[in-house]
Amino acid sequence: MDLGFKGKVALVTGAGSQIGFGKAISILLAKEGCDAVAISDINIDDAKKTAETVKALGCKSIAVKADVTNKAEVQEMVKKVIAEYGKIDILLNVAGAIMGGGPLEEQKEEIWDKEIGLNLKGTMLVSQAILPYMKNQKYGVIVNIGSGSTRMYSHGVSTYAMAKGAVDIFTKQLATVEAKTGIRVNCVAPGPSPTNFIKAPDKQAVVDMLARQIPMGKGTTPADIANAAIFLASDISGDITGQVLHVSGGSVM
Amino acid sequence: MDLGLKGKVALVTGAGSQIGFGKAICLTLAKEGCDVAVNDIDLANARKTADAVKSPGRKTMAVKADVTRKAEVQEMVKKVLAEFGKIDILINNAGGMHPRGSSFFEQEEENWDKDFNLNIKGAMFCSQAVLPGMIEHKYGKIVNISSSVAKQAFPGVSTYSMSKSALYVFTRGLAGMVIKQGINVNSVAPGWGLTNFDPRDPEEIKKGFAPHTPIGRETTPQDVANAAVFLASDVSADIVGQILCVDGGSTMQ
Repeated sequence: MDLGFKGKVALVTGAGSQIGFGKAISILLAKEGCDAVAISDINIDDAKKTAETVKALGCKSIAVKADVTNKAEVQEMVKKVIAEYGKIDILLNVAGAIMGGGPLEEQKEEIWDKEIGLNLKGTMLVSQAILPYMKNQKYGVIVNIGSGSTRMYSHGVSTYAMAKGAVDIFTKQLATVEAKTGIRVNCVAPGPSPTNFIKAPDKQAVVDMLARQIPMGKGTTPADIANAAIFLASDISGDITGQVLHVSGGSVM
Repeated sequence: MDLGLKGKVALVTGAGSQIGFGKAICLTLAKEGCDVAVNDIDLANARKTADAVKSPGRKTMAVKADVTRKAEVQEMVKKVLAEFGKIDILINNAGGMHPRGSSFFEQEEENWDKDFNLNIKGAMFCSQAVLPGMIEHKYGKIVNISSSVAKQAFPGVSTYSMSKSALYVFTRGLAGMVIKQGINVNSVAPGWGLTNFDPRDPEEIKKGFAPHTPIGRETTPQDVANAAVFLASDVSADIVGQILCVDGGSTMQ
């Protein structure tokens, strides 16, 4: 199926991690024919690694360092990408992270602020910076990353999940406001993934736990998320906007 | 993108209408490499669609069945299996509204039964008939065509909406039940289209959309087909029990 990415320029934030969703999305965008995929991350060396992988697929790419919680850095990042490619058609707000956890009594306010800052404000700041360019060309597609944890309350009090829930609402609000300006906004909500537990000492215990908890019997992979993200980034989903698509092996229905 | 549909066999119900969602789904599946069995209550129409879908190397067949009758459904599946040897994909597309927009106090029980029989029982009979084969092969995709009205609260009582809403619950329950046997069940909820479903003049229908649909246009058969084919393919293997609204942003759950 032709996803219509020829001639398109994409920006993927948080795409530095070599095992993360962002890199998988970037690679798939390149494979499916995007003209250019700009890679952003707070870690420029990681961003460069991903950019090199994209270039090796015959797709243009630049690596741009930016802390998405910093408005000035975000504005600078977008300016650089526009200067290089002249436009941004597709934005994938992947930058995000789980930082806290544990019982509420022990949680630190500083972590709350960081989780909300990165996972919600980061997505808002980047979208805000890119919106004028998309409105100008009357075309744009934004794909945010949500989380199945927004519906899994047994995991405990989590500002990560709360911030992702807010991203769901931001997705619907922005989609509604921009529906007639040619801009679509959707969200992919991943389920539990082995990469969430990368620091766990017993990898097999993680695999077994996911097999028990998830109807599918195994965790969500970067490829699963990349497939859903590029479906929503493509014009073949041109009638779909304001949706949160759970890709989680049935963990969330 | 290679959706991995080459060599798969699909059965699409209610695909006789030449301007309907079903035909577009058949055409898109065939383009992606599927052999397609076209069902309708009207055999001549089913044949028209099957002829339109024919292309070099692709096998098609037309099979008549009233999906509200269990015996006819069982017979239909037998015929398709005899011809193709397997059914990998079932698209429960047959549906309708009896009659359009009547006042609750004037509604006839006979029409309530027609809506429930066609829109939910039909999908249940077809799923029941194809699942044994899918379970044997440990592989299958079922996509139910619901409706965006199922999640919207309009004043008035509509057994169409109620029966399409029942498909949501059916999708989730069936999905959880069969996912470990390699079978994905999901649903597409289309917005209003310019199909036989709505007998009014298309221009009159179109005038109604701009103020009510965020995107401002009708849902086309291709919009629905793209989503249905995405959910029928292995690239969406981690998507289980989901309802994908393809309705220009009319429903934001």
